[in-house]
Amino acid sequence: MNERLRYGIVGAAIAALAVVPFVVSDSLVQFGINALLVATLAQGWNVIGGFAGYPSFGNSVFYGLGSYGTAIAMVQFQLPFELALVLGALLGVAAAFVFGVPILRLRGPYFAIATLGLSAVMGAVVANVPIAGKNIGLILPLFKGDRLFYELSLGLLVLATAVVLWLSQSRFGAGLVAIREDEDAAQVMGINTTLYKVFAFAIAGFLSAAAGGIHAYWITYVDPAGSFEGSLNVRMVIMTLFGGPGTVFGPVIGAFVLSAISEVLASKISTVASLFYGFVIVLAVIFMPKGLLDVIQGVRGSGVRYFGANMRRFRL
Amino acid sequence: MTLFGQILANGILLGGLYGLMALGMGLVWGVLNIVNLAHGAFIMLGGYAVYFLFTLAGIDPFLALPIAMVGMFCFGYLLQMFVLNFIVRSALLNTLLITFGFDVVFVYLAQLLFTADFRTINPTYSGSSVDLAGVTIPYSTAGAFLVAILLAGALYVFLDQTRTGRAIRATAQNLTAARLYGVNPRRIYALTFGVGAALAGAAGGLFGVVSQITPYIGITLTAKSFVIAILGGLDKPLGVIVGGLVLGIAEAMTDLYLGSTFKDIISFGLLVLILVARPAQLVGRA
Repeated sequence: MNERLRYGIVGAAIAALAVVPFVVSDSLVQFGINALLVATLAQGWNVIGGFAGYPSFGNSVFYGLGSYGTAIAMVQFQLPFELALVLGALLGVAAAFVFGVPILRLRGPYFAIATLGLSAVMGAVVANVPIAGKNIGLILPLFKGDRLFYELSLGLLVLATAVVLWLSQSRFGAGLVAIREDEDAAQVMGINTTLYKVFAFAIAGFLSAAAGGIHAYWITYVDPAGSFEGSLNVRMVIMTLFGGPGTVFGPVIGAFVLSAISEVLASKISTVASLFYGFVIVLAVIFMPKGLLDVIQGVRGSGVRYFGANMRRFRL
Repeated sequence: MTLFGQILANGILLGGLYGLMALGMGLVWGVLNIVNLAHGAFIMLGGYAVYFLFTLAGIDPFLALPIAMVGMFCFGYLLQMFVLNFIVRSALLNTLLITFGFDVVFVYLAQLLFTADFRTINPTYSGSSVDLAGVTIPYSTAGAFLVAILLAGALYVFLDQTRTGRAIRATAQNLTAARLYGVNPRRIYALTFGVGAALAGAAGGLFGVVSQITPYIGITLTAKSFVIAILGGLDKPLGVIVGGLVLGIAEAMTDLYLGSTFKDIISFGLLVLILVARPAQLVGRA
């Protein structure tokens, strides 16, 4: 596929997505907002988990802080939403620096557990802060306009994907991939690994926090349990993994496909949808570790044997 | 002073149980190089197993413990043999992700099957206690502590003295060499994972006696087990118990002096602090 055709397809897809809220029902628009926001989260995870290879299970912290930053700016300081959203996103960036500098020194499971711990404790910390409304949280001013929130979410996802596209072609992104493949070697090659990792974490923090800010104003409240919901981590990780970690469009496709399936399942019992995510992670790691995009190419090449080859590769 | 003594005793008793939780995780990590993020979910499942053996079959929780352990052993053995052995040699990220996936599956299966209600295992003696120099020690908590210590000792003897235990340690040191000496690594890996799951199951049963079980207790227990395993050292069962005691006492003291809302904050602050301050190359093979 040549370059121009590819950009044409992407442009057409964005245009089609932008028109969607004007033709479909309200509940479908609401589903769309959720899907777009979680796709943005997946894209944010892709930067730190997919490119840099640091499996963060704590990106929900950025999302929660973005929600709270936006809410505090609007409720406590009466700032307009546009400004509050920027402040919320910057809070995510600040958190990425504060937590990232010590935590990103850890590797592999040490990093994973530290982020897991962070996500488990952040809700409890915020519940003790008076300006954040302690245990109760905050109520934001009511604003009715699902279409606007939809377009805003779409804009954020386009921005996130553009950032990842830039990563895939830039020196910075190549540096992150080098860190993923062999961090010591990357350092020897002259990459400032600490700086690269912290910046990757900050990008993830910015995107996740902005998604949180939009979501907070849309649902008009924040509370410690809801805003720092740990299961968000499950969703963003699995969507990225399913679509293809380290690719540009994989996380978006993964997020859309899995959101749609889980929406259908959740209409029966919500637990079933969560269960489904767990099974997808397990099966994806065994049979399609490189994601959906790689499956499409692999199956075209060698058919069903593609899955068998994946399964045998790391067998004991 | 009695208050301090009481809190210290509470911390030590809880700490022994924490140590038992961490034993299984440390064993699997040290031998298989898998950081099992579903370890807390195993603890949770063991807790439910003992709970249902007690409430439905009327078996005393301490007698139900071996049954639950055998069940969890088989479960862990099969899981490793037929799933995890296929990806155990791939990148660490993949083993982290797949065990994370298992955690999600087990938690929501438990929610679906057992509901999200709080469950406590309440044998008739659960209210009674013994008084030692002004310090009250409930029988059930003391029993849980003793069982935890006994199991740690048993694991030490098993790894140190038996043929299978030596095979496990040999596999941990050098897979290829162990293979050349006739060790079947698939079986040893499955066995080790099964033992880890059995220990988690025992810890879960005891946890249900001294505390409450919900489908969601797992993830914080996974994180705590991980930190204790690092504190204690992966190849030293008795060191892990000491690590558990440290965390147990720290938590009990925080509870007393700062209030219970800070308990998790302190224990996770400690977690991050230990991880950051203690260089990774000292322990394990990250």
